[in-house]
Amino acid sequence: MSPRGILVGALLVVGVGVTLASCVGVLVMRDAYDRLHYSAPATTIAPLAIAAAIVLEESFSAAGIKALLVALVLLVTNPVLTHATARAARVRALGEWAVQEGEQVKGDSP
Amino acid sequence: MTEGFGEPRGGAPMNEWLVAALALLVGLVPCGMVCLRGDPVNRLVGLEMAGTVDTLVLLLLAQAYDRAIYFDLALALALLSFAGGMVFARFLERWI
Repeated sequence: MSPRGILVGALLVVGVGVTLASCVGVLVMRDAYDRLHYSAPATTIAPLAIAAAIVLEESFSAAGIKALLVALVLLVTNPVLTHATARAARVRALGEWAVQEGEQVKGDSP
Repeated sequence: MTEGFGEPRGGAPMNEWLVAALALLVGLVPCGMVCLRGDPVNRLVGLEMAGTVDTLVLLLLAQAYDRAIYFDLALALALLSFAGGMVFARFLERWI
């Protein structure tokens, strides 16, 4: 097996392992806020590792560039999605909130 | 490589990309279990996670079958699962 093949295999193991660990983390956490943390490794480390493996195999052909593009899209969109979901969870639990005109912002205790 | 889904690259029945894609499919089981219980926001988190895992599976399958055009599928799923998650989050926040 060539050194490149070994490197591709190692990157795939990292990508798949991180994703599976994140899925188990989503399952075992208690509430939505805790669960949301586990979408981060699955959308940063895993796609970059898999895209790097594909680029190593294909160099920067159409396949390699599209794989990098998918990793980039996941990297950019997931924080937005996580924020929106956490906000929805908070609004459902505590009601809509907004700072009124002239209002003092106090501590954020429920 | 002329009809159907084509063959996996190298002509062998399995390669490392197919093995990785199959291993990732196991990750859908915990996501599905999260989707089946708890309140709607917890289920939404399970759905978003499943969308991410699906995107990575499509990425690996595109490479396994050696068709550059299949990568567009992973790209479309990444964008659409983001849009779907945003719509769900907005609806859960206001109306449901």
